[in-house]
Amino acid sequence: MSVNHPESLLPVPEELLVQRLRAREEAAMTVFYDKYSAALYGVILRIVKKEEIAEDVLQESLVKIWHSFTSYDASKGRLFTWVVNICRNLAIDKIRSRQYRVGSRTQPLEDSAALRQAAPTGFQPEHIGVQEITAKLNPEQKQVIDLLYFGGYTQSEVADELNLPLGTVKTRARAAIKVLAKLIR
Amino acid sequence: MDTQEYIESGILEQYALGELSEAERQTVEERAATHADIARELDQVQQALGVYAQAHAETPPAAMRERVLAGWQAAIRADAQNAPRSIVPPTTATPDGPVVRQLTPMEPETANNASGPAFRWMLAASVALLLASGLANFVLYTRWRDAASDLAIARTEQSRVASVMQASERTLAVRQQELDVLRSDDFRTVALAGTAAAPSASARVLYNPKTKAVYLDVRNLPAPPTGKQYQLWALDNGKPVDAGVLAAATTAGDSLQQMKDIASAQAFAMTVEPAGGSVNPTLSTLTVVGNI
Repeated sequence: MSVNHPESLLPVPEELLVQRLRAREEAAMTVFYDKYSAALYGVILRIVKKEEIAEDVLQESLVKIWHSFTSYDASKGRLFTWVVNICRNLAIDKIRSRQYRVGSRTQPLEDSAALRQAAPTGFQPEHIGVQEITAKLNPEQKQVIDLLYFGGYTQSEVADELNLPLGTVKTRARAAIKVLAKLIR
Repeated sequence: MDTQEYIESGILEQYALGELSEAERQTVEERAATHADIARELDQVQQALGVYAQAHAETPPAAMRERVLAGWQAAIRADAQNAPRSIVPPTTATPDGPVVRQLTPMEPETANNASGPAFRWMLAASVALLLASGLANFVLYTRWRDAASDLAIARTEQSRVASVMQASERTLAVRQQELDVLRSDDFRTVALAGTAAAPSASARVLYNPKTKAVYLDVRNLPAPPTGKQYQLWALDNGKPVDAGVLAAATTAGDSLQQMKDIASAQAFAMTVEPAGGSVNPTLSTLTVVGNI
């Protein structure tokens, strides 16, 4: 990284980025991309499993984020929460379309070669890796949270899929999230 | 349902995972707004899922950055052009449609080609430039035509003014000459008085015996009958000598008229003759006469 631009080494404050996006500043989208693309692309890729589809979904997401930015309410949560949900929804819509229905339901997520490389994220220096999370969650919790978060399943669908009572699924999901909450730094 | 039960119902997880309908989401948000415990718990659930998402972060290929940002820019510009007067706020007019149109018709090689969206953007820009240049040409052509017609008008006006000017100069030269005649000591004034046929008629002859020049200055003459003209005669020793016919302007008294040179005369007289004049005066039509 260039020494001439020391400011680019500093994290961009979220509030400033929100302000610039609210002001419809197109250059702010580049900053947004550099800050969030790794985290968003990771989620999208986990859901759609194909890199070229993930790229399409990421681009669609940027367009949607840009157009609906006025509906982002900072008091309801962080920018990342809002944008990652937009990406998740678009990615899940994608896999629910016909061509994705066939054959990908029970495929383990880790099968994709693209998912093996670890990646730093642009906005959390104190990054928590997959290994650390896998170590903390028990396999049952991980299975449920993966289906819910990356599979686009509802809790009832997970119950059907895993042949479990809905109550058990809810309990495991809450337990998994509690474990994750302890990792918040 | 008390706050703790509400939290433990799992609805906050459903909210954070996007499982709820819009109405259910609103209920959750209203509760969170009025219960700090619920708000805190909801925030924690969302952040926990954020941690999970970030743990799976995956840096996209470097080449993707330009493609995605260019595609994004092309899409929002295309949307802005497609719905420039949309009353629907962008929030609800989410661009699923336009974006899908943007991405799906692409051939795989186009989709993988870094210059694809950029090329289409450039193409759109070229078309816009072409249209703008065409419009500019039209505007300039119209202005040029207007300017050309303005110039033609100005030229016509200028030549009209020039000819008026020339006429004025000619008139001025004539007046100057007349003034010279009137002020000259060399000219003798001969008053011609009306005869019984035309008692109110009156005219003057300005005669220069040295140069033989004769000028006529009409004060008042009845209009001659159609086809007739006044003719001036010099009487030299009782013999009439033709001194020329009067122009209409002279008859009307508008200006002096230089007549034919007369070598010698003692009197001048005017008669009414057929247009073009006669060799001998018709004495019955004698209108004015005066002696030097």
